[in-house]
Amino acid sequence: MSMPSLPLFLSQLFNGLATGLLLSLISAGLTIIYGTLGVLNLAHGALFMVGAYAGFLALQWTGSFVLAIIGGMIGALVVGLLMERVIVRYYYQRPPEDQILVTFGIGIVITELVRLVFGGIAKPVPVPSWGQGITKLGSLIYPTYRIEMMAIIAVALLGLYVLLYRTRIGMIVRAGIEDSLMVNMLGINVYRVFLLVFGVGAMTAGFAGILNAPILAVTPDMGESFLVMSFVVIVIGGVGSFPGAIVGGIIAGEIISLTSMFSSAYSHVMLFAIMAVLLAVRPQGLFGIEGRE
Amino acid sequence: MSLLEIENINSYYGDSHVLFDLSMHVDEHEVVALLGRNGAGKSTTLKSLMGAVKPQDGVIRFDGKDIRGLPPYEIAQLGMQLVPEERRIFGSLNVEENLQLAALRAPNAWTLDKIYDYFPRLKERRRSRGTDLSGGEQQMLAIARALIRDARMILLDEPFEGLAPIIVQDLLGVARQLAEEGRTFIIVEQNVAAALSVAQRVYIINNGHVVYEGTPADLHAKPEIMHEYLGV
Amino acid sequence: MILRTLARYSGGRPWVAELITLVVLLLCPVVLPLFGVTADIASRILIWGLFGLGFDILFGYTGLLSFGQAAFFGTGGFVSAFLLTQTGLQNDVFLGLVIGTVAAMAAGVVVGFFTLRRSGIYFAMITLAFAEMFHFLELSPLSQWTGGENGLTGVPMPIVGLESWHIQISSGWSLYGYIAAFFFVGYVVAHRIVLSPFGQVLTALRDNTPRALATGHSVRKYKLAAFVIAAGYGGLAGGLLGVLQSYMPPDAVAFHTSGQLVMQSIIGGAGTLFGPLVGAALWLGLQNYLQDVPAIASAWMLILGVVFVVLITLFRQGILGAVKQLFTKSASPSEPHESELTVELTRRQHIAGVPDEHPNQDEIPDHYLRADTPAKTRGLIIVPKGESADGAALACRNLTKHYGGIYANEGIDMSIPEGQLRGIIGPNGAGKSTFFKMLAGEVVPTEGHVFLHGADITGLGVTAVSQLGMSKSYQINELFSKLTVAQNLAIPVLARLRGEFRPDMLRSLDKVAGLHGQIEATLELVNLEQRADVPVTELAYGEKRRLEIGLALANAPNVLLLDEPLAGMSPRERADTVQLLKQIRAGRTLVVVEHDMDAMFELAEYISVLQEGRLLAEGTPEEIKNDQRVQDAYLGGMEEV
Repeated sequence: MSMPSLPLFLSQLFNGLATGLLLSLISAGLTIIYGTLGVLNLAHGALFMVGAYAGFLALQWTGSFVLAIIGGMIGALVVGLLMERVIVRYYYQRPPEDQILVTFGIGIVITELVRLVFGGIAKPVPVPSWGQGITKLGSLIYPTYRIEMMAIIAVALLGLYVLLYRTRIGMIVRAGIEDSLMVNMLGINVYRVFLLVFGVGAMTAGFAGILNAPILAVTPDMGESFLVMSFVVIVIGGVGSFPGAIVGGIIAGEIISLTSMFSSAYSHVMLFAIMAVLLAVRPQGLFGIEGRE
Repeated sequence: MSLLEIENINSYYGDSHVLFDLSMHVDEHEVVALLGRNGAGKSTTLKSLMGAVKPQDGVIRFDGKDIRGLPPYEIAQLGMQLVPEERRIFGSLNVEENLQLAALRAPNAWTLDKIYDYFPRLKERRRSRGTDLSGGEQQMLAIARALIRDARMILLDEPFEGLAPIIVQDLLGVARQLAEEGRTFIIVEQNVAAALSVAQRVYIINNGHVVYEGTPADLHAKPEIMHEYLGV
Repeated sequence: MILRTLARYSGGRPWVAELITLVVLLLCPVVLPLFGVTADIASRILIWGLFGLGFDILFGYTGLLSFGQAAFFGTGGFVSAFLLTQTGLQNDVFLGLVIGTVAAMAAGVVVGFFTLRRSGIYFAMITLAFAEMFHFLELSPLSQWTGGENGLTGVPMPIVGLESWHIQISSGWSLYGYIAAFFFVGYVVAHRIVLSPFGQVLTALRDNTPRALATGHSVRKYKLAAFVIAAGYGGLAGGLLGVLQSYMPPDAVAFHTSGQLVMQSIIGGAGTLFGPLVGAALWLGLQNYLQDVPAIASAWMLILGVVFVVLITLFRQGILGAVKQLFTKSASPSEPHESELTVELTRRQHIAGVPDEHPNQDEIPDHYLRADTPAKTRGLIIVPKGESADGAALACRNLTKHYGGIYANEGIDMSIPEGQLRGIIGPNGAGKSTFFKMLAGEVVPTEGHVFLHGADITGLGVTAVSQLGMSKSYQINELFSKLTVAQNLAIPVLARLRGEFRPDMLRSLDKVAGLHGQIEATLELVNLEQRADVPVTELAYGEKRRLEIGLALANAPNVLLLDEPLAGMSPRERADTVQLLKQIRAGRTLVVVEHDMDAMFELAEYISVLQEGRLLAEGTPEEIKNDQRVQDAYLGGMEEV
């Protein structure tokens, strides 16, 4: 095993950042829902997929990728809100295992409905015109769209940050992650907060889904692998922690990317191995609160 | 008609029946103390009023309205505010943010300045995170959160527990000032002397039943009752 | 009648269910073809049913929801397939399957080590993650052994028999027979496990983990054992899949395999052993027979998903669970219990002024052992105690606890002699509950030590402390709410008779010597004999309180800690319980925390008073009553204000 060259290293570092940012975005939504509502949303991958399909439809109708992104967000938001209002909110008093089982079931239903309506063949979502071609960054040559995607995701994460840390509603959510009963007792309708958090989480997943669609085949099962990856990110970053999701996502992306320089076969396995070590040594994750499950 | 009327409520701590057919009332501008050795019953009463714990039966009327079974946020909107025993300050928010959060859904919220007038210490620590506050400061903040909502009735659950005597004196000063201004509150306290110094009327609960109702003066005149139900 | 027999897992005649299962399995090749069910489908259903037997033990009985069972299905499957295709083991399918199963169990130990540190949702999440790791391992780094994305082909058909006489199994009903044999054995084993003492502990674990721990069972070891069992079943099922298809597919390790198992088990009914089988039948039935209806042929998975969501929401207990509920009657209507009579007598005694300080020794039945009688004679066991230099049953030195800057307890020295009934009182916030938790081993002190009969038990934890002979009864009832009274009492007795962990999975509950005797004796002590088979949910509050004390007693402690035993009781129940406590004193040391002063002064020989985390005063009840410091502590120091 020879030492990798610097250009390769930088290229992989960049790749890792690209993957990592996407994971951060997806995991951010998942962790906020888990932290605030105490529900692990196993339908999160399905919502990611719904965003891609809704975006695909919007693209078909309007031809604009920007409108496709908006369409993807709205599609996932609507499905997420429906999910919460019709089923999930009746589960807040039920044991946690039941909550996770029902979101799992809903995820399957959503996936199968999409498969029924759209079929299993991949839907084409081409790279938008402003993302075509390649860009040179110093010695790196990189697909333009991927760079733009990273920038868009970074802006989205910044937007989420502002929402969480610089707005009133964000303050309520952060307080709710800590102690939703006390928020309730201070006159704030926490159930509306839960709905909002669920919606934002779903929208975030959908946004990631349509954004990633030009790169990954749009199929009903596309969200599954991202779901598992985001679990690993949450374990590393800590439950309910927004900074944890970001840092954890980037770390996860880099681990996969850098390991693949040495051995592509073990790239994902390495990530799981590191997760296992962290579980043994610091179970609450990097930014998590001790004792929080 | 009293501001708060409780008729025959039964409350449970787990499945432990801690309150048996409890009845009591609090008039506006009154300070009422709930005394008794066993913590569970009295604390559960306050939590039942706030809707954090669902009482099994009976009537709870606040300002003429039946509030049993309502969710806590609706009860808070009606003007009742619990200052919990564990205080429950949001550690990840600073003092000012804790106050701002409390004021968000309050129709007649006080200004921050007014709160700082009552609690100058909190003004000094306004940017400190909740986790960095001392016990006394947390208690002040917890009470301040209720005040900033201009609550019509404040429920104080063991406010002096675990605090140094000097802090207790400080807080008692604030409590007396609020009482003079006509604030209505119920205080559940282990520290009998402190509670009696600020209350206008007292209920004593023993083993889940009300065993005495009267004024502090009456109680002082009957030390045997104090010894029987509160002492040893 | 048949369903009730199959449904009742509380002992009786287990072989009935097993015989019926055998008969049904034998009839299938005859009956199923009449319905158009092929041998292949029947075999698949059995394989998933076998997989589900282990999962049901893990989830249905122990309460651990794992989304990662595919890891073991795949490990067993690929190890078997590899051995049978790539090594010289071709002819011994049985051996290949066995090794695959063992390999899966080994994987279970490793994965269990990491995942069982957490519980609930987090546990589910990380089992899923670990299974994905196995998936990645199968696809890539280990692909030279597993065939990567192609899987392993050429898995041979088994040959059953000996050297001279053998049967070559071929696909179709003979292969079904081979697989059915494994299923049958697997079922019998699972059935016995569930009925064994080991199985009872698993059930208790699911019901109330902290209490199971405090009762003396090593929860960690039981969980790991259940996890490894489930892994073994998964490995065997995986291996059989390879044999069935003559091919081991890579998607055996995929997430949807784990998901399918979970769905089938929930739809069929968790905690019934046959639930996963029923779920598998529904799943495979829909998958194969909906093909004939072209309009919705591809919607079978959607239908299953909707059924799943509907069942969790409305019929959480699944198909078999719902059927079971239809056939099992609820417990017989409650008969008037004796406690009222007892209370009347004691109240009369009170009124008549009969002194209670020295309970009449003649009234105590002779099977309440005294301190000097060796353990394990007839009647209720009391664990023999070790030697202690100063004769103290329970003592502590400089016991201190602080959380960050907050001191809950500081520097408490206390010594409780053998046979004493010690009361601990103090105003709220005095640190009584933290102190009590440190004594019981629930909380580790920041400084200081706790000694049980002279032995340092600091930091040993509740399980070890329970095994050493000290038990606690809780302020809020911590019962096993899904069990009956007698079943509740069985749990601590099993810990006493079997130690903190014993994998006696195939043993019958009836064979545990002394179990019934101990339960009977405890029932008598706490006056619940008439209610032995009543589910906890149907008990009156006072009865639950007595059961709570009973759980602590059944552990055969010689030191008993009671946290507010009178909490939440009506005056009648209080008098009742005070009498009970006097009765259980014999041969034991009791430490009681209480707020009910009348009761405390009636019961306690000696009282310790805590205030603000420290020991304020100690003395006889009379001394305490007259101690001004104690009065001040309760009444709040009038002079300060």
